[in-house]
Amino acid sequence: MSLEGFSWRAGGCHCGGVRFEVALPAVVEAQTCNCSMCAKTGFIHMIVPESRFRITRGAERLAEYTFNSRVAKHLFCSECGIKAFYRPRSNPDGWSVNARCLDETVKLDLSAFDGQNWEANADQLAHLSLEPS
Amino acid sequence: MTTLAGHCHCGAIRVAFEPGKPVAELPLRACQCGFCRRHGTRTTSDPESRLHIEAAPGALSRYRFGRRATDALICRECGVYVASVIEVDDRMFATLNVAGVGFEAFAGREPEPAVYDEETDAEKLARRKSRWTPTVLVEANPSA
Repeated sequence: MSLEGFSWRAGGCHCGGVRFEVALPAVVEAQTCNCSMCAKTGFIHMIVPESRFRITRGAERLAEYTFNSRVAKHLFCSECGIKAFYRPRSNPDGWSVNARCLDETVKLDLSAFDGQNWEANADQLAHLSLEPS
Repeated sequence: MTTLAGHCHCGAIRVAFEPGKPVAELPLRACQCGFCRRHGTRTTSDPESRLHIEAAPGALSRYRFGRRATDALICRECGVYVASVIEVDDRMFATLNVAGVGFEAFAGREPEPAVYDEETDAEKLARRKSRWTPTVLVEANPSA
């Protein structure tokens, strides 16, 4: 497994209690989503495999919320409410990291995911959590 | 005018907004502070309107930051940011996150970016008193 071509970028919640690092390419494939949850949080998805993400501080401060299928594990800082990353239903083997929570902005290749019709569209995202070969 | 009703994702915090003018004339702001950017907020406020917020027992988390003058109201269950409130002379005023409570009436509108970094404390208070929405916040009693 090689992370050549990826750079580790740091980010976190607002109060500073939760911090993470994510390995990203120069241009990041990212999605907005119109589902009931994402519409309320404005989450901008950068979906990555397990090996490209690590929590560096405050895992114990994370609160977990689930609904509907309960596959997605929606995580947020119990102090400031910020959802910086979570386990998405589309890619439960990986992570979805919120581009809004990076310390420094990165170049995004942004598309609109139709999460209101999740079942018909989820397979478009499956490749994003594949480990680099 | 029709009252707008909404709630956080899990429904533990519910709001009713009585517009004092046509909804299309209410402001829609995208505050650029670090808290609002991370929460993806889209806010409105209007002194001629009225807001009622009701929280289920134990659902309300209050977060203070910056000058610590306002309470950001966050659902303890689902993490959604609902509103920020300030109390002045025993009266409460709020700015409401219309994205967080899912007000469809604002859908499709482009928010106006808002930056308040240069304001003094006195200017912040004056702006909130003159622009935010008179509000009643009710936390339901566990025994109710």
